Amino acid sequence: MQTAATPPRVLGLYDQPFWDLLAESGRMHLQCCSACGAWRYPPGPACHECLSPDCEWKPITGTGELLSWIIFRKQYLPAYPAPYNVIAVRLDEGPTIISNLTSDPTLDDSPIGRRVRLTVARMDDGVALPRFEFADR
Amino acid sequence: MKSLKRVAAVIGVGHSDWVGDWTRVRAGERPDDCYGYAASAFRNALADANIAREKIDGLIVGPTTAYERMAEVLGMNVRWGDQADAVLSVVQACMAIESGQADIVALVYGNDQRSVGTQYGGPQAMGGDQFLSYVYHSPWGMTSQGALYALMFRRYSELFGISERDLGHVAVAQREGSSVNPNAIQRKRITIEDYMAAPYITEPLRLFDYCLINDGGVALIIAEAGLAKTLSPKPVYIEAVGRYDLNKGATSLEPRLTDFYRPAQQAVAEQIFGTSGLDPKDIDVLQVYDSFSVHVPLALEGYGYCKVGETGRFMREDGIGLAGRLPTNTSGGHLSESYMQGWNHQIECVRQARGECGARQIENCRRVHYTSDVAGKAVSIIYGA
Repeated sequence: MQTAATPPRVLGLYDQPFWDLLAESGRMHLQCCSACGAWRYPPGPACHECLSPDCEWKPITGTGELLSWIIFRKQYLPAYPAPYNVIAVRLDEGPTIISNLTSDPTLDDSPIGRRVRLTVARMDDGVALPRFEFADR
Repeated sequence: MKSLKRVAAVIGVGHSDWVGDWTRVRAGERPDDCYGYAASAFRNALADANIAREKIDGLIVGPTTAYERMAEVLGMNVRWGDQADAVLSVVQACMAIESGQADIVALVYGNDQRSVGTQYGGPQAMGGDQFLSYVYHSPWGMTSQGALYALMFRRYSELFGISERDLGHVAVAQREGSSVNPNAIQRKRITIEDYMAAPYITEPLRLFDYCLINDGGVALIIAEAGLAKTLSPKPVYIEAVGRYDLNKGATSLEPRLTDFYRPAQQAVAEQIFGTSGLDPKDIDVLQVYDSFSVHVPLALEGYGYCKVGETGRFMREDGIGLAGRLPTNTSGGHLSESYMQGWNHQIECVRQARGECGARQIENCRRVHYTSDVAGKAVSIIYGA
């Protein structure tokens, strides 16, 4: 059966290492500023804190806190039949990332503020995608 | 402190036949293109201002049409020109007039988004070239601007105690206004029960939280204040303008999820109330850019019309309908009148200040505050009679 392709990623000059490192190592890496230590997401050419161009791609802990969640009731994309969830997570390193929860957030009275942990999902077309699961249960 | 206080005034407003064109487009016709809708609005604005096109020496064209082609269609050679969205067009016109670049500026917008099928979600989502957040998260299924506001509202409601039912007061109040507005596309009144019974699009937002998508055009004519007084029996002055942007962390939605746009709105409130000598109590009508209902409670507390965390109670008890303490989006706004990306709100500000709104007119309306906060860029104007 032909399955729908993962919706297109924005693949600018600085995005490619993010996806390559995730697929190769099974861990999410982010740029860490060599001058001030600030973590960067989405990837980019300069540190938003100190403007330094120097950085190192480093693995992150993959833990964080769930900031918000929604349920799509209407289908917009072939790869995502409704219903499905989207969440916002504040990584312990600082940046916020938009992703999915691997379980149903409506089963929890108040998922906001819960601890989550990164897991790498493999999409039908082979794309590795960082997602999150509850870490405190 | 330097400001643009009463530097210029609106002397003419006009729009295309939103209701008639809605019916025709829904029947499969293409009544016009974006330039044609704009031209129709411009003819009406010239008639309203009762001036000749040749008097106009500045032109601002909205973002949905090409500047040169629009000017060519309208037959206008001008000594100053620019391209901007609704709220910034008004700001730019005042700046051009204050600096002597122009004396009378036409602001013209046309959009055929419904008949050409402009997509605001999905693989071809509009605006991705300007706002990375609109497209960056699509590998996770995150698409459509409504979903961004849903994610924002979920956290906001949990932190500040506003319920989905409270939010419903926005759609209900705006339908009250549109029900007595002959220019409004959706005129059937709804109740909170109707709101709650409507399907979720992206939970927690429902059908009535989303704006319309329709074709149309809007035009305004703004003149230097002294000229305006000689040209118009009822000039509507721009009393104050202000802007503040939250851009840090914008792609991963920090200004929405952490700040709820509030620091930007508070900074703009200081600018507009500080330079005009007015305060929120002096505002008779509020107009808020409402691609989604969520913008309204954010603006109410961001600009100090109620305390932080009190928007649910304010909308429920004090009221934002025609008879409420702060009538808001009296025309029906984007949700129920017409989705003209902030342009139709400028017309409503002018008409309320002139006292021309018929059954939806707010009595003794002297000052109208318009605000837009799209993607954390807060911009406000106070219009005064």
